[in-house]
Amino acid sequence: MAKLLIEARNIKKRYQMGEVIVYALRGVDFTLYEKELVVVLGPSGSGKSTLLNIIGGMDRASEGEFYFGDFHLHEASERQLTYYRRNEVGFIFQFYNLMPNLTAYENIDLSAQIAENPLDIDGLLEQVGLSERRDHFPSQLSGGEQQRVAIARGLAKNPRMLLCDEPTGSLDLASGIQVLKLLRDFCDDYQKTVVIITHNTEISKMADRVVYLKDGLVDKVEINDSPLSAEQVSW
Amino acid sequence: MHIRSLFYFIGEALKSIARNGWMSVASIAVVAITLLILGSFMVLNYNVTLITEDVKEQVQIVLYVDEEASGEDRLKLQQKLVGHPQMEEVRFVSRDEALERLKRQLGDRSYLVEGYEGEDNPLRDSYELRTKIPEDIAIVAGEIKEYPGVDYVDYGSGVVEPLFQFTGVVRWMGLIFMAGLAVTAVFLIAHTIRLTVYIRRKEIMIMKYVGATDWFIRWPFVFEGLILGFIGAVIPIIIIYYGYNTAVAWAQTNIYFVSLVSPEDIIEEMVKVLLPLGVILGVLGSSISVRRFLKV
Ligand SMILES: Nc1ncnc2c1ncn2[C@@H]1O[C@H](COP(=O)(O)OP(=O)(O)O)[C@@H](O)[C@H]1O
Ligand SMILES: [Mg+2]
Repeated sequence: MAKLLIEARNIKKRYQMGEVIVYALRGVDFTLYEKELVVVLGPSGSGKSTLLNIIGGMDRASEGEFYFGDFHLHEASERQLTYYRRNEVGFIFQFYNLMPNLTAYENIDLSAQIAENPLDIDGLLEQVGLSERRDHFPSQLSGGEQQRVAIARGLAKNPRMLLCDEPTGSLDLASGIQVLKLLRDFCDDYQKTVVIITHNTEISKMADRVVYLKDGLVDKVEINDSPLSAEQVSW
Repeated sequence: MHIRSLFYFIGEALKSIARNGWMSVASIAVVAITLLILGSFMVLNYNVTLITEDVKEQVQIVLYVDEEASGEDRLKLQQKLVGHPQMEEVRFVSRDEALERLKRQLGDRSYLVEGYEGEDNPLRDSYELRTKIPEDIAIVAGEIKEYPGVDYVDYGSGVVEPLFQFTGVVRWMGLIFMAGLAVTAVFLIAHTIRLTVYIRRKEIMIMKYVGATDWFIRWPFVFEGLILGFIGAVIPIIIIYYGYNTAVAWAQTNIYFVSLVSPEDIIEEMVKVLLPLGVILGVLGSSISVRRFLKV
C-alpha cells in the first residue's frame, strides 16, 4: 500500500459575487498517494483548477481540513504556505507561465534558487530534450518546448508533487504526448506524485487513478490497474 | 540578506531593465524629465535668491545731518539711531571721511576737490544705515526723517521697492509653477508604474506559484526602481551642468555685473538633491506598485 501524501476532507470553496455566493467546491474529499499519477477529470467549471490551487497552497479553502503529513494546511500561515509551495509543489499550467524576460535556463534557475534541495538544471534541460535551447527566451520556443521548460522548472526544486492544470490544453497531439510522457517518466524515475487536470477523457487512460469532478463534488474515483503509456494515448 | 542573494537580485534587476527595453526607457525618461524641470527651477531660484541677497546687502539709508544742528541735537540723533529696534548697522561718516572717499573715487582727477579740506569742506556729516529687514527700509526712513538734526534722508526709493516686488513675484511664480509640475510629475510617474506593473503582474503571479516569498519577489523590483531612478537623475544633472556652464559663460561676457551662483555649487546641490530624489522616486514607485499586486 502506497504512502499517503495529502488528505483533504470536505473541502468547500465559496466566492462572493456581489449578492450571490458561488460554490466552486461543495465538499470534496481528496487523497493523494506518493508516486502515483492521478488525473482529475471534469467538465469546464467543475472546480478542477480551484481544487488544484488549494492542494498547491496557492489558495485557501473556505471550509474543510487539509493535511500534508502532520502539516495542517488549512491552519497554515501565509509564510508556511509559501514555504510549502516552494519545497513541496511544482505547478505546470496550460499557458506555461514562463517569465518572458528570462531564458529557459534562467526560468528553471528561478525555481531552483529558492528551493532547499534543487536538482541540476542542465541535467533537467537534457532530460526534457532542450539542452541546445538553454539560452533561448520563451518567445523563441514552441508551445511544446515552453511546456517542457515549465516541467523542468516545476521539477527543479525537487518537490514531492507536480500539479498540472491542463498541461496539454494548448498543444498539438505530438507535443502533448511528449509532455505526458515526460510527466509519466518523472513520476516513475523521480518517484513524484503527479496530478494532471484535464477535461480530456483520453488522458485519463494513462492515470493510476482517476478522480471525476462534477459541479464541485467528486463524482467517482476509479483505480486503473493497467494504465496506458503516453505513446498509446491519442486524441 | 545573503551576499549571494544580493547579487542575484541586482542581476535580476539589471536583466529586467535591459530586457524590458522601451518600458525601462520610458521610466527613466519620466524621472529624468521630472527632475530636469525641478532642477532647472532650483537653479533659477538659487540665482534669484543670490541676486536678491546681493541687492539687500547694498540697500542702505543715507541720512544727512543738518549743518545747523547743535551738538546736543547731534548727540540725541546718534542715540536715537543706535536705539532704533529695526536698525542693523549704524555707521557715522564724517564730512572729512566723505571728502576722502570722494577723492578716492575721482582718482586721477582728485585735484578737482583739492583745497576744500577742513573749514571749506562743502560736504555734510552723514550716517549710513542698514535695517535688519531690508524690505523695511522705506518705513524706517520715514520715521527717522523726523528726528532732530536731520537734513534729509535718501534710500534709493523708486529702485528698491520695485526690485523687491519683482524678485518676490519671480519666486512665487516659480513656486506655483513648480507645484503644478510636481502634480503632473507624480501623475506621470504613477501612470508609468501602473503600466509597468500591469505588464508584469503575470511575472509576480508566477513568482508566487513558484513559492517565492513576497520579499524575494519585491527585491528585484526595488533594485530595478533604484537603478532606473538613479539613471533618471544622472541625466538631468549632466544636462543642467552643461546647460548652466554655458549660461554662466554667456552671462559673464554679456551681463557681467550680475553675480551668479558658481557651476560647482550648482552641481553639488543638484547631486545632493536630485540623486536621492531620483532613487527615492524609483524605489517608492516600484515598491508601491509591486505591493498592489502581491495581494492577489
Ligand atoms: N475568483 C473567482 N471568483 C468567482 N468565481 C470563481 C473564481 N474562480 C473560480 N470561480 C468559479 O468557480 C467555478 C469553478 O472554477 P474552476 O475551478 O476554474 O473550474 P475548472 O478549472 O474545472 O474549469 C466556476 O464556476 C468559476 O466560475
Ligand atoms: Mg481550470
